[in-house]
Amino acid sequence: MRVQLAFFASLSQYLPETGSEDRVSAHTRAMDLPDGTTVGQVITLTGLPDEPRIVFVNGRHAPDDQVLTEGDRLAVFPPVAGG
Amino acid sequence: MPFVPHPAPALEEYEELRRRLRAARVGIVGLGGLGSNVAWMLARAGVGTLALADHDLVDPSNLERQFFFSDQIGLPKTEALSANLRRITAGIGLECFQTHIDESNLGELFGDVHVLVEAVDSAHDKAMIVAAASEQLPGVPIVAASGVAGYGSPNDIITRHLMGDVWMVGDLVSEASVEHPLFAGRVAVAAGHQAHMTVRILLGYPQA
Repeated sequence: MRVQLAFFASLSQYLPETGSEDRVSAHTRAMDLPDGTTVGQVITLTGLPDEPRIVFVNGRHAPDDQVLTEGDRLAVFPPVAGG
Repeated sequence: MPFVPHPAPALEEYEELRRRLRAARVGIVGLGGLGSNVAWMLARAGVGTLALADHDLVDPSNLERQFFFSDQIGLPKTEALSANLRRITAGIGLECFQTHIDESNLGELFGDVHVLVEAVDSAHDKAMIVAAASEQLPGVPIVAASGVAGYGSPNDIITRHLMGDVWMVGDLVSEASVEHPLFAGRVAVAAGHQAHMTVRILLGYPQA
């Protein structure tokens, strides 16, 4: 299945190296993954640091065990302290 | 993109804008440098009801950038802020929750807000509040902030529509630390962004 990964701010360095055809924007890549891949498996696969993150799939919060499906957009944002 | 001003509203439309803001209910989670300043800006903008949550008391260090006064040290932030907001708008509707907000109570306490402002301090709590709001308050716009500390340019603080119902204010990277403290001006810039994005959403202009 093909999904989009959007990693914001400091996390964009963890986007997989891909060809130009997979580059959707500076912080978004298209990626082929095996059917049944979960959010948590993508986080492990890409090596995201174990720090607080906001994880959305198609605009809604998604837990690590959520299974991705064709065309999903997984977006990860790392909030930083201060308020 | 060039700035395109909205057409000046006719008088009856202006009254409609005021009416919409008076009818609005906005939740603010965290009453520190962001939340306490967002609150007074929304009060002055004419938002009718604010739901305010913070478990903490006013500390002397808060006076560097938060909307409290020296004779309020030791008071619950909810109580002190309510008193200050009523000095601006005597009739403003206020609901105060002097408690820590997490996934166990967010949906219950903020179930009827039109916009939720995330204004907490730690990265962990920011992620938790946004996740809980997305799950428990579906369709409610969340105006959050990340990256407001330090000496960086005020011009790096911007508002983005991040994803789903989440708008994000800040430079995204300037984390508060001993080396990068929170300054009144830069935090107030971010608070102004959050308050004005909230007003825009309430008035039907959701573009960041």
